[in-house]
Amino acid sequence: MFKIENLDVFRGETQVLWGVGLEVAPGERVAILGSNGAGKSSLMAAITGLLRPRRGNIIFNDRALVGLKPYQITQLGIALVPEGRRVYKGMSVRENLEMGAFVRRGRPRLKESIERVFGLFPILGQRSAQGAGTLSGGEQQMLAIGRALMSLPDLLLIDELSLGLAPRVTKEIYAALASLGSEITVILVEQNVELALRHSERAYIVESGRVTGHGVSTELIDDPDIRRAYLGM
Amino acid sequence: MLALSLTNGLVIGIVYALTALGVSLVVGIMNVVNFAHGEFYILAGYFSYLFAHTLGIHPLAAMVIAVGLVFLLGLVVEYTLIRPTYGDDMYSLILTFILSIVFQSLFLLVFGPYPNKPPSWIKGATEVFGLFHYGNQRLAALAAGVVVIALFFAMLKLTWFGRMIRAAAQDREMAELNGINTTRLNLLSFGLGCALAAAAGVILAPVFPVTPTAGTPVALTAFVCVVLGGMGSMSGCVLGGLVLGVVENLGAAYVSTGYKHVFMFLILILVLLFRPAGLFGRREV
Ligand SMILES: Nc1ncnc2c1ncn2[C@@H]1O[C@H](COP(=O)(O)OP(=O)(O)O)[C@@H](O)[C@H]1O
Ligand SMILES: [Mg+2]
Repeated sequence: MFKIENLDVFRGETQVLWGVGLEVAPGERVAILGSNGAGKSSLMAAITGLLRPRRGNIIFNDRALVGLKPYQITQLGIALVPEGRRVYKGMSVRENLEMGAFVRRGRPRLKESIERVFGLFPILGQRSAQGAGTLSGGEQQMLAIGRALMSLPDLLLIDELSLGLAPRVTKEIYAALASLGSEITVILVEQNVELALRHSERAYIVESGRVTGHGVSTELIDDPDIRRAYLGM
Repeated sequence: MLALSLTNGLVIGIVYALTALGVSLVVGIMNVVNFAHGEFYILAGYFSYLFAHTLGIHPLAAMVIAVGLVFLLGLVVEYTLIRPTYGDDMYSLILTFILSIVFQSLFLLVFGPYPNKPPSWIKGATEVFGLFHYGNQRLAALAAGVVVIALFFAMLKLTWFGRMIRAAAQDREMAELNGINTTRLNLLSFGLGCALAAAAGVILAPVFPVTPTAGTPVALTAFVCVVLGGMGSMSGCVLGGLVLGVVENLGAAYVSTGYKHVFMFLILILVLLFRPAGLFGRREV
């Protein structure tokens, strides 16, 4: 369904990803683990077309993505919840969601998608007329996820879901994601390794721009090296 | 006297606001300062003169055609001159500056140095609040300006295109991720920015005739309105335009006409001293 091969990505003249490869099956939840600066967000930028890779392939549903513009990639069915949420603060909650359905694939079902998001995160329904800038961090994350879902993506990328959120809110958001079932494929970037492994089936480990390991999440959680390096025990 | 100056100020202020909205739009979406903005205003004035006076088309139809042509010209300018400079704001600055000089020379060549004035839409005068008689053409200009500004804000609020503009002005990358073709949005925004200048031009030209170089102060005033209102704030630049228009006319009535631009910069300096982000400024550094 989704495959990356041998990807080299630069930011300006600095190389940030070296020969990255990964593969995701339909309906799967895959975590990308790695410390700050490892290149996880750059990988998300390369997938969504914000950064143009210098070498390598990104294949999604048998289509090559390298060279396409972000708006074309969204139209093909990939949606990103970006690091830092990036909701449109000057627009209302409802308008933010509408922007998520801007692409052709999302627009015809805008009304029912909004109802679906309000069902997933009821607080957004209550605040639909409010400016997005007045929401709490957790609510903004819900809005960012809701906005991404509005384009009816096949593949959902979430960058740093739990960053800066209270554990209770994080739990609520993960529960909502779990309720989506396997109709949607998810790539989850998390610095909180324990959370990531608990909410994914497989995981890739990225260090200094390279994939240094991957495996089944339940096994990685028990791996002594992983526990030492990322879980601090 | 006071009421008359205030009314004059409102008429001019609305037109300033309209011009400034175009600048604000182009700055907000493209981060481009169009130095030829005033020349698009003047060009529309000439067009409506040409169509209505020389060709005898109905003044209102002439205005619409003029604005439409300037919109198309804006598209061409964006496509040929601005698009190649993406990523380097300095080049677009220089290019539009050269463009403004080229326009001024062409105006001089084609229309000569004399003021040209399209015909008025209506004649006569109306007694306002029982205080003074005021030219119907100026009242009509005020009404037309209000209508165009209201339409613009309704467009921003109610249409997909308006939502695209607001989203992209806030976070261009995110807007692109949401499926907006920002290259095409740039094209349309630039055209629309020029069309707003053109609308201001055709509305005011029957009152203040156009000359080849009259665009420079128009653009200057628009830039000041945008800074006054706060970069990135559309409602701020409307307020900025009204404030400038009123202060300028009060100054002209009670102090001296010669100090018009001095008043403008005094206000600008005062606002920037006490509210560095502008009246409605919200964009953090
Ligand atoms: N906008 C940027 N411009 C230049 N370099 C950047 C930018 N964002 C990140 N980097 C650099 O790219 C590398 C990878 O960063 P990033 O992809 O953000 O890592 P992560 O998301 O894993 O924390 C880091 O060395 C970082 O300093
Ligand atoms: Mg990151």
